[in-house]
Amino acid sequence: MSGPETVDRVLITAAVVFVVVAGALLFVRISRGPSMLDRAIGLDVFAAVIIAGLGAKSAFARDSFYFPIMLVLAFLGFTGSVGIARFIAVRDKPLSHRRPADREGKK
Amino acid sequence: MSVWVQVTDTAGAVLVFFGAAICLLGAVGMLKLPDVLSRSHAATKPQTLGLLLVLAGVALRLRSGMDLATLALIGFFQLMTSPVAAHLVARSAYRTGQIERGELLFDDLDAQLTRPDAERERERERDGDTDTEDGRS
Repeated sequence: MSGPETVDRVLITAAVVFVVVAGALLFVRISRGPSMLDRAIGLDVFAAVIIAGLGAKSAFARDSFYFPIMLVLAFLGFTGSVGIARFIAVRDKPLSHRRPADREGKK
Repeated sequence: MSVWVQVTDTAGAVLVFFGAAICLLGAVGMLKLPDVLSRSHAATKPQTLGLLLVLAGVALRLRSGMDLATLALIGFFQLMTSPVAAHLVARSAYRTGQIERGELLFDDLDAQLTRPDAERERERERDGDTDTEDGRS
């Protein structure tokens, strides 16, 4: 009886460790991303990793307490990166939109 | 009967484990890859496959109706919203010139952005028969 329980506990603990390491690596990417778009992608993946970590915690404790938080994160996690891509990144590095045309003329 | 409950619990734990491993692989890819577009390629792995595996594992371990419905909604909204964000980020990266153009093998969007003007002028020179598509294909 206690054998499969121990296997489950070890597997989900390893999953939580993986999720925490993934979050740390993503935090490195967010902190030193060269442009704002890298940070936007990093924040998007960070929301997915938070949902995965809450799912691992729910699978460990067998409760559904954090499901509304996961739902809201899945629902609204993309708005930050959409805002960055739409407003901040364009202002961050204002290059011309004519660049493909210039390159085509050069070739 | 209890054997199948044990099997379902262990299968759920294995799915959660593999989902978390895929999340870790995606994060390593985010750290290693050099470009915005290749990083967004690595970013889709935790967002779709890793998260769906974790949600399937949780659904195998919590086997009641309302929890399954909530987990299905979480997966559905994640699948709906992450392509929107990826599309807008990649579009903004292309428009502001933050991609490595030397690394691209094909750039269909470049032709789409630059060629229609020339095509339109050529059609205007040909006295406006607009339905002939032979030069384009």
